[in-house]
Amino acid sequence: MGVSFDLGTPVNTALFLYILYSVQRIIFPTTSKPSTIPNEFKAGYSWMPKTHPPTVLFKTYTPKTLEPFNGVDDGRILLAINGTVFDVTGGRNFYGPNGMYGNFAGRDASRGMAKQSFDIEMLTPVDQPLDKLTDLKPDEIENMKGWIEHFSSKYIICGKLVENDAI
Amino acid sequence: MGLPFNLSEYLITDDLTILLALIAATVFLLNNLYKPQPLVHPILLGRQSDAGRARNPKESAVYRNYGTGLLGRFPIRPSKEVYILADLVKQESEAPRTLWSTKITNTHLQDRVASLGTGLLRLARLQPNESNVLLLLNDSLEFIVADMALASHCIPSFTLASSNLLSSVLESHPPSAIITHAFLLSQILELIYDAGEKTGHHTIIVVGEPSSQAMASVASNVKVLKFSEVEREGFKVEKVISPLPKPSDIFTVSFFEGEGGQLQSAQLTHENITAGVTATRSLLPLSHTPSPLDTILSTHSLSTPYGRAIAYTAIYEGTSFATQRSSELYHIDDQQNPSDGSDIITGKRYPIPAPTILFIKPQHLNYLVSEILKQASKSWLLFPIAWRHKLAGIADGFLTKDSLWDRLVFDNARAKVMGDGAAALRAIIVSGGAIDAEKMTPSRIALSVPLVNTFIHPLVAGPVLASHAFDLQDFPAVTNDVLPSPAAHCGPPSVNVEAKLVGVDDELVENGADPSGALLVRGPSVARLVSVEDYVDVQPEGDKDGWIIMGVRAKVQTNGSFQVLSQI
Repeated sequence: MGVSFDLGTPVNTALFLYILYSVQRIIFPTTSKPSTIPNEFKAGYSWMPKTHPPTVLFKTYTPKTLEPFNGVDDGRILLAINGTVFDVTGGRNFYGPNGMYGNFAGRDASRGMAKQSFDIEMLTPVDQPLDKLTDLKPDEIENMKGWIEHFSSKYIICGKLVENDAI
Repeated sequence: MGLPFNLSEYLITDDLTILLALIAATVFLLNNLYKPQPLVHPILLGRQSDAGRARNPKESAVYRNYGTGLLGRFPIRPSKEVYILADLVKQESEAPRTLWSTKITNTHLQDRVASLGTGLLRLARLQPNESNVLLLLNDSLEFIVADMALASHCIPSFTLASSNLLSSVLESHPPSAIITHAFLLSQILELIYDAGEKTGHHTIIVVGEPSSQAMASVASNVKVLKFSEVEREGFKVEKVISPLPKPSDIFTVSFFEGEGGQLQSAQLTHENITAGVTATRSLLPLSHTPSPLDTILSTHSLSTPYGRAIAYTAIYEGTSFATQRSSELYHIDDQQNPSDGSDIITGKRYPIPAPTILFIKPQHLNYLVSEILKQASKSWLLFPIAWRHKLAGIADGFLTKDSLWDRLVFDNARAKVMGDGAAALRAIIVSGGAIDAEKMTPSRIALSVPLVNTFIHPLVAGPVLASHAFDLQDFPAVTNDVLPSPAAHCGPPSVNVEAKLVGVDDELVENGADPSGALLVRGPSVARLVSVEDYVDVQPEGDKDGWIIMGVRAKVQTNGSFQVLSQI
């Protein structure tokens, strides 16, 4: 009962060729670089993301140009507090058309934020000059500033609000 | 009969099959599963900086280092007890280390600083908060001692980034005293006498022994003291204690030449330098921070904020430190530095232990790498295989200097080029110019240590942009119409710097192109810029909100790394 070694058999030849090929790969590793830069880290070590992180261009809005951004046709939702415009598209649940605070979308919400009220009376019509907020009490101004802080950390500051005829 | 019969004929197996199957299985596992881990996970290299979510028209977003984050505060001190320059000398560490050619402990250093400070106040009649002293010294222990002594008494020190600024600085900002080398004494005296209308008193403190001719030409309104005498005087008497400086006090002013050739100065406060030390420490990852076992060699002069930050990082971490002799500013004779970078090898050395961390310039790197590769390619059989293996490792994000190929090929080459201490080298930081992108991978292979590419500026203590130490990514060359061969990227902003680009084409950026424009930075390690026009300090218009113009055009790639394109 001797051991038989026959390299000529198909199975043995196939295995032998495979071993030769793998050993050649180990001793002489491939050094070809891909012709296009991969966009996924799984596709290669030297990869580059396809796009930049999204950024919003800071623009100057008037009450009239701000008004369309009320999320009605699935667009961006903006609102303004004390002259600063915030992009609150992330809070569609609150500020979208069916949200609790939907009145504020596309409008100057300063008075509402200060007085902690979401009534329609807090909003000034778009064709009138901006609400000067002169009759607010100091604690209401503090409240409004608190809201500005909250919005600054939660949402993106993407513009400022000026009078209709300023542009 | 038929198929089954033929099939079993083909599938004859015997003992050799078992052997070959085992070998094939082993080889398969080796090939597919034994892949070395990348030094840093590539997912982190896809987001190297944190970008702001809103941007002004014609500008890019504000970028910060991803580790700091947009909402995080900038780190301004290496540890919570360090507020001013004197705090950088750790009192608790007892071990001596070699600074240039002197072995010294921290306590001894503090004693020397206190003695010199007292001696200067008494003999040179300097007034805290009112005088200022020009340090015309080459990088040496005396420079550090003088700088710290003056800072502890709230006397700003002046330094020059290049020696040809001397006459303009003497005319526009006459110092109360000058500390200089003995061989420069006659030159200084000449300059003082030439500016004849200033007949006030001058005090010059000289390091070393002045020649008798120089001493003979000293006029009556000039007092020349010896550095060692001043120190001895301070040592003998009771030390003068001045109130501690505040971190916002200016402790040094570094004069340099601006782009238009005009004289400009960087006013560094204590906070700037502690922030610079923090940024310089963060160049290497936490696992590789300098320790008292390290030796740092720098080719950046201490008269620049960046060079000073490197020196004080070395002092803070307790490493041995020296600068390259060839990067001295003031020479006895007019010797020129070789511009090909060979001075990193051939230049005279200080007696420090073998350097473990190098802070060098691109020409030094290119010279070292070309020499090492020349030596390594002499082993014609093994070098190609070693090169291929190293390249394959880098393609997977892995690099080490302890591999088989280093032992066979590269260690010898490095030892032949850099001397016996080559094996001690563990990190290299390159600043002060651009490196070709296609030279980065050969440099990494030749040196096999973390290589950091940085961008520096005469106004910033510490690096402005610094690449990740373990970033081994290599991208195929993209033809760039701005530069003939594109420069390697410099990584994200440093840990306490935020950067933005201005003059950006909004349309291109909204369509997804890389923003490119003039680079502006802001941060605690950026010094205040003051221009000197007609001998009067002028605050430049600059950008509001404290953004400082760097004077270069840069581009941001999608992974948050910056590529410096050209000078403006």
